[in-house]
Amino acid sequence: MLSNFLQKQQYNCVRNFTSRSAERIVKQQLQEIRNAGTWKAERIINTQQSALIGVEGTYNKVLNFCANNYLGLSNSPELMQAAKDTIDSHGLGLSSVRFICGTQNIHKKLESMIAKFHRMEDTILYSSCFDANGGLFEGFVDPVKSKVAILSDALNHASIIDGIRLSGKAKRYRYNHIDMKDLENKLIQAQDQEVRIITTDGVFSMDGDVAPIEKICDLAERYDSVVMVDESHATGFFGKTGRGASEFCNVLDRVDLINSTLGKALGGSSGGFTVGKKCYIDMLRQRSRPYLFSNTLAPAVVGASIKVFDILLKSTELRDQLEKNTLYFREKMTKAGFDILAGEHPIIPIMLYEGKLANEFADEMLKRGIYVIGFSYPVVPKGEARIRVQISAGHTKEQLDKAIDAFVEVGKLKGCLKK
Amino acid sequence: MLSNFLQKQQYNYVRNFTSKSAERIVKQQLQEIRNAGTWKAERIINTQQSASIGVEGTWNKVLNFCANNYLGLSNSPELMQAAKDTIDSHGLGLSSVRFICGTQNIHKKLENMIAKFHRMEDTILYSSCFDANGGLFEGFVDPVKSKVAILSDALNHASIIDGIRLSGKARKMRYNHIDMQDLENKLIEAQDQDVRIITTDGVFSMDGDVAPIEKICDLAERYDSVVMVDESHATGFFGKTGRGASEFCNVLDRVDIINSTLGKALGGSSGGFTVGKKCYIDMLRQRSRPYLFSNTLAPAVVGASIKVFDILLKSTELRDQLEKNTLYFREKMTKAGFDILAGEHPIIPIMLYEGKLANEFADEMLKRGIYVIGFSYPVVPKGEARIRVQISAGHTKEQLDKAIDAFVEVGKLKGCLKK
Repeated sequence: MLSNFLQKQQYNCVRNFTSRSAERIVKQQLQEIRNAGTWKAERIINTQQSALIGVEGTYNKVLNFCANNYLGLSNSPELMQAAKDTIDSHGLGLSSVRFICGTQNIHKKLESMIAKFHRMEDTILYSSCFDANGGLFEGFVDPVKSKVAILSDALNHASIIDGIRLSGKAKRYRYNHIDMKDLENKLIQAQDQEVRIITTDGVFSMDGDVAPIEKICDLAERYDSVVMVDESHATGFFGKTGRGASEFCNVLDRVDLINSTLGKALGGSSGGFTVGKKCYIDMLRQRSRPYLFSNTLAPAVVGASIKVFDILLKSTELRDQLEKNTLYFREKMTKAGFDILAGEHPIIPIMLYEGKLANEFADEMLKRGIYVIGFSYPVVPKGEARIRVQISAGHTKEQLDKAIDAFVEVGKLKGCLKK
Repeated sequence: MLSNFLQKQQYNYVRNFTSKSAERIVKQQLQEIRNAGTWKAERIINTQQSASIGVEGTWNKVLNFCANNYLGLSNSPELMQAAKDTIDSHGLGLSSVRFICGTQNIHKKLENMIAKFHRMEDTILYSSCFDANGGLFEGFVDPVKSKVAILSDALNHASIIDGIRLSGKARKMRYNHIDMQDLENKLIEAQDQDVRIITTDGVFSMDGDVAPIEKICDLAERYDSVVMVDESHATGFFGKTGRGASEFCNVLDRVDIINSTLGKALGGSSGGFTVGKKCYIDMLRQRSRPYLFSNTLAPAVVGASIKVFDILLKSTELRDQLEKNTLYFREKMTKAGFDILAGEHPIIPIMLYEGKLANEFADEMLKRGIYVIGFSYPVVPKGEARIRVQISAGHTKEQLDKAIDAFVEVGKLKGCLKK
């Protein structure tokens, strides 16, 4: 009754504004989000990103288990120095799109290194993989001049979905998550088109499961289709030499296009790219809208990224450490009785099923100095709420143990552990 | 005949690949672009961005007259130091979206400063204004729950067009360029919707003309519509205190939402934002897809941008210098007999009308040490080709004179000057 009264007060307050209907409607919708319990609040971090971070409102530092900082490079002294050196040599910014006066020698160098790392022909840089996905489907072939079909896994990333929405007249197919039979049916349906492109996350971000890329390549060859893989949760650390899910599935040489990010494992500042066959990259340079109409990548980011690929081309030490950490954590948590989606990836979903429980669990974890986030509807399906842990090469064994102990303590408290 | 022969050879060569139809089609389309003479080649710069730059293939440095470096800040020592200091204090990257662990205290500080500068309530940061535009129309009100009409100037930026394409079921209406009668008619048509949003570039990038924002606000108030202005070619330097075209039109306090970039005048590294009423910003934080699903802004960019707004909040020295340079250049070029679209903005289109002429003119200018670009179809309408000059506060009088002299020399050579 009190909440009804307050809500009415707020509504009356809104109506007293000489505001427009838009404002009234937006405020109503904001209230609905709060009521539904799906409001996203931002915690404020007052340190560098690292395994151990300072969060405002928390006295002691906490251990971060929910960043995409897979190789622990987000505050790497080596990369930070490279960024600063490149600011000195190449300035703060270019204030230009690539083709006017926004290409420096370092951009070409980074593109070469990324192509070399992936054993592909050429690379095109973007501000983010979000933009790389946004520009790909409309850009790599003219959908006005040719009949194009796009076949997309149902659980692909939001940025791929948006890129497909921007693909104009292209015919869109969605195949059930990693369902190769459904994909094959749709490839057959799409034979009346001139060009087909299958697009999939290499690793899916909510479950950490890997796409069956080998089977996808088999189908693509049989039914004459291009294969594009988004390796954002894989580049640098997944696969034997960190060359992604495509390498993990032993088909790096059969995938046509890889979109990925510099904003996760590879330093985390910003940037994305498409790497692949030269003719596709050439076409994207001529047509891709985020490339033609948005600022070129900042020198600092380019310089740090050149250093990252330097490191990755020389040694697999970091991804080996991450793999070790991941196996250790998975083993211990499974033994402790938690329900963990099986897999090998550092994304580890601790299944709790019920949304309210997931949020309360995360709060209890924070009290014990472990920073994790509960994911519930609508981010994941109803009844599949979880805490999504992300392991880093930067986590020490002590830090992993501290997290595991906290999980077990809260798990017992909440009755989540299997007998 | 020789070219036919070569073309046939290439076609046969392509057919010998065991390539997919996609590859064949893309290569054909690439050839069509070359044949049409609209191929974009990138020149490689080997210095910082500045009034004077080094370009590979050119022995001496050249003067840059086609960057968005309006205040000359792209290699400002002060901003470069701020960027480096912030790397030291806050790390290289966050490797996270904002709401998980991607918000540092400096992000909130920058958002406050941008809001303060615009005398508005709150700000939301993005990787680029391209993303800010991409996320706005679908994000600021739920187009599933409410009936939304979007009214957009015909010559708005590509990123606004793409943002509108992503707005789902919203009703999309386009009004003729700066045509207030057409806008009014469409506002009347759109009265059956719950929410209306008028969106316009503040300054249009090809002609440098200013939107009639005062009249737009009048219409918006009369017909109950939100007003959004994209100030990318205005923030920091246009208007009496550099607060944009909205300030230039004396209606900064009547515009609801401003989208703009940190990647042009304000340092040029990267970044964009939406600033406006708190309820709209709150809604964008909950719903905007580029915000929820893409990496947070890198510390170096945030730190440099805080320093920029520090500078802008204290002094109008830079925008005053730019205004002086702009007036000087416009006056001299008009006197010399060039056909220049009238206006006050540092975007100065030197009209040449014919595409081939525009490209040849730019080549001749480069021989004389002036770096400019010819713009022709399809970037501008057929028969309206031009060289688009962009003046910077960083240009000295000597540099402006050198450019003017080169323009006059080439203009005489090509017979472009009015008698």
